[in-house]
Amino acid sequence: MSISSALPDLRESYPPHAPGSDPQQSTSLLGLVPGILLLFVVGYAGKFVEHFLNTYTKAHHIVFPNIEYVLWAIVFGILIANTIGLPKIFRPGVATYEFWLKAGIILLGARFLLGDILKLSGISLVLVAIAFTLSIAFMTWLGHAFKLSPKLTTLLAVGSSVCGVSAIIATQGAIEADEEDTSTAIAAILALGAVSLFTFPLIGHALHLSDHAYGIWAGLAVDNTAEATAAGALYSDIAGKYAVLAKTCRNALIGFVVLFYAVQWAKQGLASAKANQQLQNKAAFLWKKFPKFVLGFLLISLVATLGTLDPKLYPHLAGLVPFGFTKPQVLALGNLSRWAFLLTFAGVGLRTNLRDLFKQGARPFIVGALGEVVIAAITLALVYGADRLYKL
Amino acid sequence: MPSKSHKKFSLSTDTWAVLLSLALALLIRLGLLKTVAW
Repeated sequence: MSISSALPDLRESYPPHAPGSDPQQSTSLLGLVPGILLLFVVGYAGKFVEHFLNTYTKAHHIVFPNIEYVLWAIVFGILIANTIGLPKIFRPGVATYEFWLKAGIILLGARFLLGDILKLSGISLVLVAIAFTLSIAFMTWLGHAFKLSPKLTTLLAVGSSVCGVSAIIATQGAIEADEEDTSTAIAAILALGAVSLFTFPLIGHALHLSDHAYGIWAGLAVDNTAEATAAGALYSDIAGKYAVLAKTCRNALIGFVVLFYAVQWAKQGLASAKANQQLQNKAAFLWKKFPKFVLGFLLISLVATLGTLDPKLYPHLAGLVPFGFTKPQVLALGNLSRWAFLLTFAGVGLRTNLRDLFKQGARPFIVGALGEVVIAAITLALVYGADRLYKL
Repeated sequence: MPSKSHKKFSLSTDTWAVLLSLALALLIRLGLLKTVAW
């Protein structure tokens, strides 16, 4: 039996959303345990190898670069998924990696002060708006040039300019795209996300980008939230933090983008009856598409900020200070967030299907890849400029 | 005619993630979970 025929079809086995958001998936809590344990084992193996190599090389005075546990966890996951494959028993639990990602992001809110979030979100949102406009225009032109179907072009444009798989899934319903176009767009975005894990840190180091600038660049340019978080964490802890913040800004815009496309398709009479009905109440449409974990992130950050307020500077808020987190509590929440991300990174590796790099057909991949390169260059120039102007 | 079925109580991944995170944050805030090693 060839290796490729023994591999599981990860696109079917690993829905882009963890149990709970996928109505077709009804796995019992017990059924999730083996996969979650596997995520932990793979992630912890990555952490162990990083620690072991650091200790060993230091003890033996060997010059060796510090390779973060993030990379080890992803590589171990890729190796398992693409060689021996995953037995079915692990699949439901492994698919929860998106759940851990969101929990990790919410808990990471404790490491941000609300003022910093507002400042950086403001800058990020302006950068997102500029990058989004340019990248949608470029991707649409590229799709036409390569004669892709308008719906596939739309899905690729949304996936690469806004926020990856979630945006594609959300847009699919609004524009009535068929399953094949959706799977192709998702496969292209995931494959390119896997490539970005290895290329972004190299480019960042080559350009000597600061942790802040690199993190925001990764958050703005890498499509899928899990890969953006990993690409940031591969550079440094601080870069990972800022990548999450920039990516969360992009995620918050998902509703507006899907609404824009839904309205466009409805104007042309191409939207489904269901989509037309949903468009009657645009506020409800936006709320439905809004990623709720962003609110959790802001709430945790608000409580953390309360704990840092100086009663002398803010006497009217002095009564709220005792409700905030103390420093050791912020540290504990930050560590919980790291554990959640550990499971996520293992899941990213276990979900990455190298076959998709070759399987999806050349044209969508070329369009996606060209789009990614141009979007990465545009966002890099924007971040570079913003870093000079605002000292990110 | 579509069959009647029990409407399952289900929450989105986002909502579950928010609930779990807030529960953990509360445990830490109340001092029931004091330290988390990394």
